[in-house]
Amino acid sequence: MSSSHQTEQGHHPSFKQYALVAVILFAITIVEFFAIYPDPDLIGAAKIPVLFILSAIKFAIVIMFYMHLKFDNRMFTILFLAGLALAFAVGIAVLGMFVALGGSPRAFASANAVPYEEGEHAKPTTVPLPTVPPAVTTPTESAAPDVDATTAPEPVAEPAGESGAAASMEIGTNGDALEFSASSLSAASGSSVTLTFTNGSSVNQHNWVLVQNGTKDAVATDGTSAGPGADWIKAGDERVVASSKLLDPGASEQVTFTAPAAGTYQFVCTFPGHNFTMFGDFEVK
Amino acid sequence: MAHPAEHAIEETTTGLSHRKMLMWIFLGSDCMFFAALIATYMVYRGQSINGPYPIDIISVPITTISTFVLLCSSFAMVQALAATNRDDQRGIRIWLMATALLGAVFIGFQIFEFNAFKNEGLSLGTNLFGATFFTLTGFHGAHVTLGIIWLLGMFVLALKGRLGPATSLDVEIVGLYWHFVDIVWIIIFTLLYLIGGFDAGPAALPGG
Repeated sequence: MSSSHQTEQGHHPSFKQYALVAVILFAITIVEFFAIYPDPDLIGAAKIPVLFILSAIKFAIVIMFYMHLKFDNRMFTILFLAGLALAFAVGIAVLGMFVALGGSPRAFASANAVPYEEGEHAKPTTVPLPTVPPAVTTPTESAAPDVDATTAPEPVAEPAGESGAAASMEIGTNGDALEFSASSLSAASGSSVTLTFTNGSSVNQHNWVLVQNGTKDAVATDGTSAGPGADWIKAGDERVVASSKLLDPGASEQVTFTAPAAGTYQFVCTFPGHNFTMFGDFEVK
Repeated sequence: MAHPAEHAIEETTTGLSHRKMLMWIFLGSDCMFFAALIATYMVYRGQSINGPYPIDIISVPITTISTFVLLCSSFAMVQALAATNRDDQRGIRIWLMATALLGAVFIGFQIFEFNAFKNEGLSLGTNLFGATFFTLTGFHGAHVTLGIIWLLGMFVLALKGRLGPATSLDVEIVGLYWHFVDIVWIIIFTLLYLIGGFDAGPAALPGG
């Protein structure tokens, strides 16, 4: 066996061959560069497959000649290609998780986000399960009992008065976290609501925007385009029921509006990126 | 090193050097490491909701030059190994130092680029592009930096005349690592610069 190891040395390429390999690698890189620069659409739809093939060729040349796999014992090739195959599997798994499950990782992440509850983590002695009323565990949910632990009932603000009556409520932020201090609010339909929003953050600007159910991300995305001058809200956005201005850290504002028709609404901060964690439900009864 | 006779014939169960095999297994596993980072970049590609976006700050010409530098360093590395095999002491020193210097120039380009991006408002926490870009290219840069330190260590051995045909495996193994860093860059250069370097905001890509 040791004799085969000795003969490997004799097959190493000469200086000229190494130089030729380098020239080929340079040439491919130059071709790649001019395929996309200065006009990135020079070769149109062929761009991605062409660049993939050219870089795969460079990759193969380096491992075959510079790393000697072409001349060395096949065992090294097998070991490396096995790792490379697993690497492809890792890549496909990561891409697959997002592409297959949602198509858009942002939408998937926001749809599946579990609200972070300050109290539960700050006080490990508080076991959430005993606070769950027995009625919550319906037969359909019993198949996945673990779900209850993460969606334990949250403090819900008291419903504001009767129809037509005035109601006042307050909401702030969980310190510097990108979260509101309450994950749900409620009011009676038709009541005149006065909501005091206090930005308790010491670093971030926030606003409080009441929107139609399920539209918080879309409103925030349009708000991003509208820019900070518009308080991160698109002008005349019909999905917006009520909104505060964009408040600086520590600022406070009273928002007055009439509670709309009964149903579920959402409130959200439309500052870019905040909408994924900073939102809650607004129940109109 | 203390027993030079061991380098002449290394008895192993496979007839192959265990050190070399270990390096190849490590490189195979490092493929998975970079695959995870590259796949994360690709998943979040075009998903940033605020700038700067790649098209705003990526300079393909400058990075093409640094890519050339890294390719040159790979060529210098194979020359260092060839010099070791023919016991050319001067050649070993020249080519090892050339490899390390070219690697340092590549890192210099990367520092320049990172600094320019920072001045343009892109940091690790700015958006998904910043987070995935700096994580991936930063880990590659860390690999290159480790390689430079290793090469300089080999250069010190070369100055002491400790490298030659009997210890060519030591040079070959650092070479394997160095070339691997080069092929990872070939992939990163293609995906992040040639293909992804012209990405704009989310509206420009389907599904964004």
